[in-house]
Amino acid sequence: MSKKIYMSMGRKALIKRDLESIMAYNEGEGLLTVMCVDAACKNPQAIEIWRRQRRTLESMPSQLAGGLLRLLIQRHLITPSLLEVFKTCIEEVDLMGESSVDAEWMAYLGAYRYLRSLNLADCKRVTDFALWNISGLSSLQEVDLSRCSRITDKGIAHLLSIQNLQKLCLPETAVSSNGVHLLSSLRNLTYLDLGGIRVTDSALSSLATLTDLEYLELWGSDISDQGAAFLTRLSKLNFLNLAWTNVTELPNFPSLKTLNMSQCAISSIFHGENETRPLLYKLLVSGAIFKDVHRAFSCLETANLSYLDISGSIMDEFHFLSSMKALEYLDISSTKMGDSSIDSLICIGENLRVLKLRNTKITSNWVAALAGNVPNLEAISLSHTAVDDDVFSYIKLMPALRGIDLSNTNIKGFLQQHINGVLKTTPSLVALQDLKNLERLDLEDTQVRDSALHPLSRLSELIHLSLKNDFLSDITLHPMSSIPKLKFLGIRGAVLTSAGLCSFKPPGMLETLDLRGCWLLTNEGVSQFCRSYPWIHVKHEFVKMSSTDSNSSSDCLLPWHGTSGTCRPRNIRRKTPSSMLNTRKKFVDERIKYSRSELLNLQPSHLSRITLS
Amino acid sequence: MRKEDTVKLISAEGFEFVIDKKAASVSNTLRNMLSSSGSFTETQLGEVKFPEISTPVLEKVCQYFYWSLQFASGKETEFYIEPEITLELMMAANYLHT
Repeated sequence: MSKKIYMSMGRKALIKRDLESIMAYNEGEGLLTVMCVDAACKNPQAIEIWRRQRRTLESMPSQLAGGLLRLLIQRHLITPSLLEVFKTCIEEVDLMGESSVDAEWMAYLGAYRYLRSLNLADCKRVTDFALWNISGLSSLQEVDLSRCSRITDKGIAHLLSIQNLQKLCLPETAVSSNGVHLLSSLRNLTYLDLGGIRVTDSALSSLATLTDLEYLELWGSDISDQGAAFLTRLSKLNFLNLAWTNVTELPNFPSLKTLNMSQCAISSIFHGENETRPLLYKLLVSGAIFKDVHRAFSCLETANLSYLDISGSIMDEFHFLSSMKALEYLDISSTKMGDSSIDSLICIGENLRVLKLRNTKITSNWVAALAGNVPNLEAISLSHTAVDDDVFSYIKLMPALRGIDLSNTNIKGFLQQHINGVLKTTPSLVALQDLKNLERLDLEDTQVRDSALHPLSRLSELIHLSLKNDFLSDITLHPMSSIPKLKFLGIRGAVLTSAGLCSFKPPGMLETLDLRGCWLLTNEGVSQFCRSYPWIHVKHEFVKMSSTDSNSSSDCLLPWHGTSGTCRPRNIRRKTPSSMLNTRKKFVDERIKYSRSELLNLQPSHLSRITLS
Repeated sequence: MRKEDTVKLISAEGFEFVIDKKAASVSNTLRNMLSSSGSFTETQLGEVKFPEISTPVLEKVCQYFYWSLQFASGKETEFYIEPEITLELMMAANYLHT
């Protein structure tokens, strides 16, 4: 690596990607700073040279030192003793997912005089004893110990001396109700995450002294209605997560903005004498069971409610929806929503931006009734529903649409119409050309064949296209070449041949080509395509997966993610094994080293095959 | 080269580096100092003192300015940073918004 071309465009892009998350890096600005941080984190030898420059390190601005430390952590170059040199200039340490962090690391961190925030989430080797090291840190305000399964009530005792603590995360640790009792002395807490801990009603009652609490996670705890009643004393609470608990009746919380009661059996929300009802912004009740949904929501003030997730919940009627005029996000997947319940939705369509209808009984007629009433709808998910090709003529009446998910439906790509008594077949995807903002289209597991796809070539804004079925052949690739902004193309499980792939001219902006499950492709064919277009990331069984491609799940269709709680995605970005990182870098360097024509000349040689396959 | 088109950068030890204004403008801090009409004394005198930046580091910074101009015009060469001055250069670059 030492004397490679340091800063050609590929290298620059690589560093930029590495550092974008780490420092405020704008195009053209701060490049030298970024190059210096990169050079400082190049290898252990470089570190040995600068680590002795104590005085310089001590005078370093904390934002700069923080960036340096984060890159060292990300590149797995940090050691406990190296932590020592940063002790006077760091305010924030994020060691999330670093499995080597143990008591020795914590001993060095204990000397960080100005430490304000410490993230040890998923550091499995952190023990109660290790926490003793940070017990005296008076500047500490935020501690995250999520999923540190070796932390018990004894560890909590060490935290009690940090009186300034405002944010504490303890989900899925071994803390018991006794430990929760102890927390009541941390009077400055505003943010407390106790998810997955068996908090009992009596332990919860002791938390009533934490009157500054604004954010409280109690999912998966043993709390019942009795415990929920104590919570009303927390007058500043605006976020409450009670998913997977036994709470059925929630008392009135005037301050609440976000409520999660997923997987609860709900009989009523916000019943009580107090006249002022909370102006809820976000409500999640996915998988909840409602005996009488009308009664449960009767005290709900819906003027501000913009986010509602009732996916998978058991309820019989949807009339309560008709009062929720402010809704922007609505998830009614896997419910009994069907053609008969459309009326309640039509009158709230004005502000809707995202609508998820996955796995419901709705048909194209349902969409017909909705079309024209949703002027601002940006994303719609109709996956696993009974819609057919008629749906396109209604979808085109939703002018703001940017994302459409039609996977696992009966879409064929053709409409059969009787015109003057003659049966005529017309391509149905043509209707999509009316949607001027369409960026994302998912047609996986539909009946769409090659011959129906040509209208897609006219979609000028399309960025992401997913196709998957075993009717698709090489002809599929032809219209794709002329989609100008396409960045992601997925053609999975198709009968593409190597010859077809090699004659494919990918559109100029293409970054990712997902060919998983295309079983007819040969190793030779895939490698040849990779060599011809080295900047395109190809996903196929013959190409080694790199670590950065976990971000293309179909959930990206929608601009919002649900709140935390039961299904919080674990952050895995730091867990990249260094060997994988190395192979990726090698790959990038290859394309810098040779020009495109040189690469093509190298084709028959054994060398190129080794590096690319 | 006319004097108006150049700018003098002075290191902590008093070494003077005379460079093109165009090169100095790679740094946002310097560009602001030199372009604002008369509000800085630096604008009138055409020289900037850096009591915090040592001579070798300031020299490297000047080299970077010219390298950056070349890089922007498509000439892709290596810009090597010696490990010994990495930290100081990092701080200087951070100060200069470069």
